[in-house]
Amino acid sequence: MRFMIIVKATPESEAGAMPKQELLAAMGKFNEELVAAGIMLAGEGLQPSSKGSARVHFKGDKRTVVDGPFAEAKELVAGFWIWQCKSFEEALEWVKRCPNPHDEEGEIEIRQIFELDDFGSELTPELRASEERLRTELESRQR
Amino acid sequence: MRFMMLMIPKGYESAAPDAMPSAEAVAAMMKYNESLKKAGVLLALDGLHPPSTGARVTFPDGKPQVTDGPFSEVKEVLGGYWMIQVRSREEAIEWAKRCPASPNEIIEIRQVQELADFPPDVRKAAAGLTEMQPHARKAS
Repeated sequence: MRFMIIVKATPESEAGAMPKQELLAAMGKFNEELVAAGIMLAGEGLQPSSKGSARVHFKGDKRTVVDGPFAEAKELVAGFWIWQCKSFEEALEWVKRCPNPHDEEGEIEIRQIFELDDFGSELTPELRASEERLRTELESRQR
Repeated sequence: MRFMMLMIPKGYESAAPDAMPSAEAVAAMMKYNESLKKAGVLLALDGLHPPSTGARVTFPDGKPQVTDGPFSEVKEVLGGYWMIQVRSREEAIEWAKRCPASPNEIIEIRQVQELADFPPDVRKAAAGLTEMQPHARKAS
């Protein structure tokens, strides 16, 4: 099963504070462990919402764009991993071992990713084939 | 530049554990995903199960504390994401606007941090990171 591990933003990360070398080293070590255990599939950090950010709202055919930055740092995403784990419990154990990603109080959210089999009969054979084709092509591009 | 398009469906914060999109919605979204792929901008995409099946780990005094979902106090949660490679923030916004989204949904566009954004000492400390990032390989 795959999980998305979401690192929530804090007022400090939203203010553009860069991680200190000590934390980077600790996080680097944690990432190495994840890779060695075959857990980590991807991981990225996002710029604070003051840089390169916007929100698009949808109403019928209408699209409204609101530029960042956005308030409520706690609700924003600062970074994420995609992990391959045997169970939810395994993902949770790894998160508990993660170095605190911020110098202040922070939060990490664990969410399971939808796999094709989760959709059951709602996913027609045509849709399934098209989704599988898309993923195969994306994977071959990343190699 | 890489951007993440974060799908934020209002109401998903209290969705039942077995909530699923309809075949119709999935079909429309697949058409959109195909158009992203054809344009060569799509790097990765995933959908997330409702937060009622998830958990949050906080570090109040350095020690991890686990709260199981759903998270009653939160206003917004993630429903899924796309990782795209485009030339500008404007191009990312244009792609978001083409998404067949519903009135309860918001797409947030966020620029991904590249190693080049960091000063030399940080880049050194983060050496080896790129090999761990399949999404970044094409971009770099």
